[in-house]
Amino acid sequence: MWDLLARSLEASTIFLFAALGELVDQRSGVLNVGLEGLMLFGGTAGFIAAQTTGSLPLGFLAGLTVGGILGLAHGFFSITLRGDQVVSGMGLWILSFGLTTYLGSPYTGPLGLGRIPNVLGISPFFLLGLLLVGAVWFVLFKTSLGLAIRSAGENPAAAEASGISVSAIRYLCVIFGGTLAGLAGATYALSYNPVWTYNFLLGWGFISLALVFFSMWNPWILLAGATLFGIMWQLSLSPELILPGVLSRYVWRMVPFAITIPILVIISMPWFRTRWGLAKPEALGRPYVKG
Amino acid sequence: MKLARYELTLQPRAAPGPMYAVLTAVVAIVLALALSSFLFRSAEDGLFSAYRAVFSYAFFTPRGIVATIQRSIYLLLCTYAFLVPLRAGLWNIGLPGQVFAGALAAFTVPFVTEALPPGILIVLMVAAAAVGGAVVGGFAGFLRARFQVNEILVTMMLNSIFFWAVAYMIKEGGPFMGATAEGEGFSLPPSLQAPMLLGVPFTAALALAAAVLLDLLFTKTALGYRIRAFGESPPAARYGGIVPLNVSLVVFLLGGAFAGLAAYHNFAAIPGVYKIPGNYGFYGDLAFYGIITALIARGSAVGAVPIAILFAGLSLGARFAQGLLRLTFGVDYALLGLLMMTFVASHILYQFRIVWRRVPAAVVQPVPTGLPGG
Repeated sequence: MWDLLARSLEASTIFLFAALGELVDQRSGVLNVGLEGLMLFGGTAGFIAAQTTGSLPLGFLAGLTVGGILGLAHGFFSITLRGDQVVSGMGLWILSFGLTTYLGSPYTGPLGLGRIPNVLGISPFFLLGLLLVGAVWFVLFKTSLGLAIRSAGENPAAAEASGISVSAIRYLCVIFGGTLAGLAGATYALSYNPVWTYNFLLGWGFISLALVFFSMWNPWILLAGATLFGIMWQLSLSPELILPGVLSRYVWRMVPFAITIPILVIISMPWFRTRWGLAKPEALGRPYVKG
Repeated sequence: MKLARYELTLQPRAAPGPMYAVLTAVVAIVLALALSSFLFRSAEDGLFSAYRAVFSYAFFTPRGIVATIQRSIYLLLCTYAFLVPLRAGLWNIGLPGQVFAGALAAFTVPFVTEALPPGILIVLMVAAAAVGGAVVGGFAGFLRARFQVNEILVTMMLNSIFFWAVAYMIKEGGPFMGATAEGEGFSLPPSLQAPMLLGVPFTAALALAAAVLLDLLFTKTALGYRIRAFGESPPAARYGGIVPLNVSLVVFLLGGAFAGLAAYHNFAAIPGVYKIPGNYGFYGDLAFYGIITALIARGSAVGAVPIAILFAGLSLGARFAQGLLRLTFGVDYALLGLLMMTFVASHILYQFRIVWRRVPAAVVQPVPTGLPGG
């Protein structure tokens, strides 16, 4: 049972990394629906780099770098060119889906490097995730940088008038978000399940995106949501540990996705949005045009 | 951006004409083909032979031409599934899920009964496929309209749900598992195989007729106007009396129905298939070509026809060249990614005008030389 919990926490961390970066992105007013693509590219780049060099740290570095570059590309389209953020995000996702299938294909199979040691039985990435949640919360709500990020996402014109460079803040956030998405993909491909297959994420990025809405843009609620989904995901892979012989394993694999839909419905209902959903950045998804 | 004494700016285009849409589409496709040269870098006989292998198989061999036509029908129907909601400003990325639902619904008909005349069963299969896809699509449309639930997330969740639902039905003793028990669905009896028209499945006629009807719908009918108005500006459309619930539901029902028909075509009408194969996931991935086709066609169903044929040929030719020239797996997937990238780039050219402007030399204010009065 402890093993199951430890694996669940590691799975949670992957959701957490990706969603935390997206949360910061969205707090600044930029929506990146191509999160899954950034994770795929980050994971694939990390896997290829690690297998080629035999070094896990270099693998992680590659994953982080590629994620950051793709975040920057999304920023260029949505901030500088003021393009449709959904078009850019979808473009990144399909680009990553197509190219990683081709680029990663020669590396199909196990990574073949040693496993990353646990700390007291827990993945070190989970501990890193906890630290990141605390750091993001502190920066967002207790520092002037956080105030600048939140004001860029709420009312960019007012932020600009008060001396904040909305473009610079948004670029900072999309690069941070992309880097964390790359880290999430690399953690998946180098630690959680170090075996490369095409389109290996199968929806993790989209669940992470849903978690941001679920979190009401609060890092601590995001941590709770990611943990819940990590446990649920792990149980869907090993249902026999809780309910042996009940339903096909394929039916269990549907569960995390099936549960996400009613959660999305609940958080979208008017009473919920009125009471709890006021944290949604007012300018989310809207390009900012300097007046 | 400044370069020496010139400034480069992007200015929004007011209303790009249809010729400009065609031009940007051609640029996107040509650029993607040029970029795809890196996919063929390992070809021993050189780049030119790789491109020749792709095009000659798809468009100049009898077997390739038939396969290209069959695949282009599938891609066209998937294109409509994405295109109809897109005209209302909604993103239906649930094509794979709706295709899987349509396939399950179609094969439920012969699974339940084979007692009816074959003609009726075939009609029922077509209808069931459309209804199966429409129900799944309509579910996302309803949630979007009623609760403002993000349709991208819902349709993506449905993709995964129906991917595993098909696995449950056709693998490991599932109800639809074939007699060979090799992880694929049961085969249709010869009497239920779709009839052919001029050597191609009758679904080709459906796909082509739908292209004309869809463009007529959008340009000549009140419903089409409501969909387009909603897509342009939901608040303005609401102010004009258009009910968002109706529009979202209609476009997703219609889109889902087309995805269901694509499933019927792909699994029950293509000679040599006539079952849900074990690699059904590949066809779900292939449905994403429908997204890029609709985007490049800028929402025109008739305009999507040549693009779908080209992409069908390219995806088939790429897979053929991959085997012939021993290239890395995934050339067809990479091409999909490159097309998406060049579409986004061409989208910038479509939306904006690049303007070079000479920056006037800084006007130097004359320095006052006179002494202040007094």
